[in-house]
This record gives sequence, structure tokens and C-alpha cells, in this order.
Amino acid sequence: MSIIVNLDVMMAKRKMSLNELSEKVGLTLSNLSILKTGKAKAIRFNTLDAICKVLDCHPGDILEYKNE
Amino acid sequence: MKISTKQMLNVLYVLSWVIFLGLCIEAGGFIFNAFFTQVLNPVGAKYFWQEIDLSSLYKYDHVAFFTETFVMCAIAVMKAYLFYLIVKILYDKKLNTYQPFNEETGRFVLKVSYVSLLIGAISWCGCEFTEWLVRQGVVMPDIQYLRLSGGDVWLLMGVTLFVIAQIFQRGIEIQTENDLTI
Repeated sequence: MSIIVNLDVMMAKRKMSLNELSEKVGLTLSNLSILKTGKAKAIRFNTLDAICKVLDCHPGDILEYKNE
Repeated sequence: MKISTKQMLNVLYVLSWVIFLGLCIEAGGFIFNAFFTQVLNPVGAKYFWQEIDLSSLYKYDHVAFFTETFVMCAIAVMKAYLFYLIVKILYDKKLNTYQPFNEETGRFVLKVSYVSLLIGAISWCGCEFTEWLVRQGVVMPDIQYLRLSGGDVWLLMGVTLFVIAQIFQRGIEIQTENDLTI
């Protein structure tokens, strides 16, 4: 898929672990892992909202479009 | 008292086992008698299976006898295989009532539809062949005794299951998409 999830980059910038993000966002570790590894088929707006709030970033910082 | 899905599946499991064993015995009997008649003793044609007397057919032509018994054996084996698939999926507990649209169930429905279509097609051919033999003056038992009847029903079931399998495939796609929506 042409959409790349840069969640791990943002987590590294904010020095936040997956466990910490999972607790703060309220998502399970397995769901966050699916998102981080790019296996997810879709992301809900409220999930994106929670992640952006916790990581203090914009959706564009997490999602990137790359033309293949 | 309300009967739950689990109880219903348990009853179906026992029933499937009984039918599967019966069909295995029948298929085994057909194969053994066909082999016995053609290789060891032709008298086996008279007492082929229950009310089936194929002595007239055996006297008429050995190739016709082989074809007829081959069709009967093939149908019996496929019917047994169909119930083997049902027993297997119930034994492995792959029918997940919480997430019914999974790959395993989709494959199962598709396989059952193919086998049903094949049984229907071969039954229909066997039926036509038997009718042709009767027209040639061979005394043949009723097609019901030869287990060749109901070809149209098998075909109808196969087509219906095939359509259901296609809908199931879409269901699997939607469920996978739903599972991977974070």
C-alpha cells in the first residue's frame, strides 16, 4: 500500500515506548503493533485523534503517502 | 427449553459420524464387490449389494459392468468424502460462532459445493448410462438401488452452496477489514 505509517518515528521522537502509548491512548498492544507494522487496513478518526493528542503531532506526521 | 447452537452442533456431529460410517461401509462394499466380481468370481455380480443384481449387465458386457460399478463406487466415495469434510470441521471445532466468517469455513463451504456438483454431474451421467443400458435390453435394478438417483438435487445443492461460498468470501473480506481497523 502507498500509505506508510510512521508511528515508530514519532514514538522515537517523543521517546515514548509502545507500552506507554498503549496505556495513554487506550489501545491494546496487539492493535498498536498492527498499526505500527503497517498491517492495518483502516484507522478510525477517534484513534487518530487520541494518538495525535498523546504524541502532540498532526495526522500527517504519522501517515505518509508514497507513490509506488 | 431453547436449543443452543453448541447443542445443535453436537447433535449434527454425532449424526455426521453415523452417516459417514454408513457411507464408508457402502463405498467399501461397492469397491470390494466390483473388484471381487471382475477379478475373482463373477457370481458376485448377482449379489452385488443388498437388492442390486448386476448379473444381466455382467453377461451383457464386461466394460459396461466396469463403467457402471466405477460410477457407483465414485459416487459412494465422494458422498463419504463429503461427510468426512463435515465430520472434520466439526471435530476440529473450526466453526467459530463468534467469528463465523473465517478462511477455514469459507474453504469448507467451497469444497462441499464442488463435491456436491461433482456428485450431481456423475449421478446424472450414471443415470443416463443406466437408461441407455435398459434400452439395450439389459435387465437393470432401479436407479434408486444403484444409488444413482437424485443427481438433480445434488446439482441444485452444489450450485446453491457455490453461491453461498461466493457471498461467504465477501463476508470474510469484510470481517478481515473490520478486524484490521484500529
